[in-house]
Amino acid sequence: MDRGYMGKILMVDLGSSTMEDELIPEEIYEKYLSGMGLASHILYHRIPAGADPLGPQNILGFVSGLLTGTGSLFSGRWMVVGKSPLTGGWGDANCGGTFSPAIKRSGYDGIFFSGISDKPVLLYIKNGKPELRDASHLWGKDAVESEELLKKEYGEHASVAVIGPAGEKLSLISGVCNDKGRLAARSGLGAVMGSKKLKAVVLDGKKRIRVYDRQEVNRLSRICNRWVKVQLPLGPGTGLGLLGILLRVLPTAMAMDGYVYKNILRKWGTGGLNQMSPEWGDSPVKNWKGSNVDWPLSRSKSAHPDLVKGYEVIKYHCYSCPLGCGGICRYPGKYKEGHKPEYESILALGGLCMNEDTGSLFDLNEYLNRAGMDTISAGAAVAFAMECYEQGILTKEDTGGLDLSWGDAGAIAELIRRMVDREGIGDVLADGVRAAARRIGKGSDRFAVHAGGQEPAMHDGRMDPGFAVHYSVEPTPGRHTIGSQLYYEMFQLWKRVKGIPKKLPFQIYTKNSRYIADEKKAQEEASSSRYMAVVNGAGLCMFGSFLGVTRTPTFDWLNAVTGWSKTPEQYMEIGQRIQTLRQAFNVKHGIEPKENRVHDRAVGRPPLTQGANKGRTVDIEKMMGDYWAQLGWDPATGKPTPQTLIRLGIEVS
Amino acid sequence: MPFTITQSCVGCQACKKICPVNAISGEKKEIHVIDPVVCIECGACGRICPHTSVLDQLGNLCAMVKRSQWKKPRVNSDECMSCNMCIETCPVNCLALSGAHDSGYPHGYPYLKEEKACIGCGFCSLECPVEAITMYSSVT
Repeated sequence: MDRGYMGKILMVDLGSSTMEDELIPEEIYEKYLSGMGLASHILYHRIPAGADPLGPQNILGFVSGLLTGTGSLFSGRWMVVGKSPLTGGWGDANCGGTFSPAIKRSGYDGIFFSGISDKPVLLYIKNGKPELRDASHLWGKDAVESEELLKKEYGEHASVAVIGPAGEKLSLISGVCNDKGRLAARSGLGAVMGSKKLKAVVLDGKKRIRVYDRQEVNRLSRICNRWVKVQLPLGPGTGLGLLGILLRVLPTAMAMDGYVYKNILRKWGTGGLNQMSPEWGDSPVKNWKGSNVDWPLSRSKSAHPDLVKGYEVIKYHCYSCPLGCGGICRYPGKYKEGHKPEYESILALGGLCMNEDTGSLFDLNEYLNRAGMDTISAGAAVAFAMECYEQGILTKEDTGGLDLSWGDAGAIAELIRRMVDREGIGDVLADGVRAAARRIGKGSDRFAVHAGGQEPAMHDGRMDPGFAVHYSVEPTPGRHTIGSQLYYEMFQLWKRVKGIPKKLPFQIYTKNSRYIADEKKAQEEASSSRYMAVVNGAGLCMFGSFLGVTRTPTFDWLNAVTGWSKTPEQYMEIGQRIQTLRQAFNVKHGIEPKENRVHDRAVGRPPLTQGANKGRTVDIEKMMGDYWAQLGWDPATGKPTPQTLIRLGIEVS
Repeated sequence: MPFTITQSCVGCQACKKICPVNAISGEKKEIHVIDPVVCIECGACGRICPHTSVLDQLGNLCAMVKRSQWKKPRVNSDECMSCNMCIETCPVNCLALSGAHDSGYPHGYPYLKEEKACIGCGFCSLECPVEAITMYSSVT
């Protein structure tokens, strides 16, 4: 089979300790690609309505991408999927490293688990031969420690996905770790893995991944690599903070070319935005009630891009990535060495909690990665607790003696330890802010910023309403990795896809125009969703996609790898099909899409009285309805219409 | 189409020992068999067989080549993009990532860490999109 995919999946029933290969017909790949698309097909039809996310009927999947291992660049993303215990609907989380090609080298496009084991187990696949093995000796150990032990046992070159103590203790904000500290963090799927008593998946295979036209794939990759290699001479990181100020004070904005962002990523990684984002209003501060006024450069310098980069000893490249935005750092503190903290982690544990202790940011990032807990949701839960404490809703008696004043690094570290260990107040917070607000009561839901149960990431919809829309309308709400007005500019889809809004290079527009809810914006948002569904079916990286669809030639790679001759519009329809099936999954499981609307505070209700986003309110209900209409979903309810399901060839059950 | 072993096999087990994915089975002094599902077509069995008993994926008999003459990868760091594809695809894990070359360009590069383990399959070269790896033989 020379079409990039392996043509089969592995279904493992942990209840009966049985497993079988299952062949996937070619038409399924043509309809859904692989990766998230293939997973949506499997999970929609096999998880019964109303299944307990932590029960035996839930299915947990590990999927690679259609382009992974084919010579295309940025194609090292794998995805864990399942019914999310955090949101009650579709759950997925995405990660890089080496695990994605390892799935295909084992002979599979995806590995799916149902049932619950009666003791801790791991799945080991050596050269395509899977077996379940006892993992009792690993239970209770953190993710990095477990991976190191597994590599001693199975070889240094085995790829490992593993949960830490947070997943074992069924924290609904836990994820799945790979490559010693990278986390597929969102949707709470670490808890699903923990509920199944599945400690780890260990892969060691060398299957060939065959491609229809490797020469063409390589030609496309060489062109893409040229854009990555040409690096602008950027000055010190201080300039980025100052650029943030400039972007804030100007009444106009400019369409962003992702090539500019590529340069920042290659030099600093995502941490290049650590000071810039709060300045121009992109990053929420103080549990979303603050602004750049509360978190000025003098405080955000604790995560100055050059300061963080200063600890980096070598760049970290995920598989097939020419960019290398990650880094391995050595730093003083408990852990000495680990992955460079990402922007999301720094801002969630920093500005959102008003924490300006650099050392604690490194330590907490590493601690949470090892524990297997989502840094975004953990930071949001701490910020929520701090505001409850400030408002007198939580007292020292409730917190077990902890003084949860804003920015107290010691208290934050102790609170997070208790969350991981599910101890006292930590147990209250360990399932995210929605569950915590329900447990605490006393009107604390006013401070629980979430969308459908998931804490939104560190990008503020009051600055770019596209984030607020995608937080609210995605089948996995609260996600920043699908779209925004900024992302649409960077994807540059109009260069390949007909009939969608165009932007001129570096087009100037007024900031006020961002807030006008019109059809054009809905088209842009729907196009971003469709495209990212393709990207996630292909196993590509969003940062690579930011280079633009002509420089990172997703559609052309897919045709060269598979031998298909699909047009960009046909791929966008596949994206729509994947997106619609994920939404149908939510409807099947009783989710009311309207209820996934992001928290009032995150759309400017009430508006902030100072700072970059002063006076900004997003007309979120209209924007959500407009988006749903673009996808052929009912604009009033957000549910896919029967006509749309028939047109896309989706059979619902 | 995987590699296959012919009736002229004498069961010396050289192929079985070198196969990186344990695709070959057979008792000593008996004809060996390649598992077509497991075989990755690296060709090591064909190169090492002293009795010319291995057919390649096209059905051609593989000629034995002295191990000292097997080709090895050479990395051109000017072209390399540090993407790790070659390291990941190597069936015997003989490539590794170097430390950062200098602080001005802190990316690692692949290098042949385990020269004796290399089976000369050339997968690293084949899969490198930017043609940064060439296979060379130190003995002509």
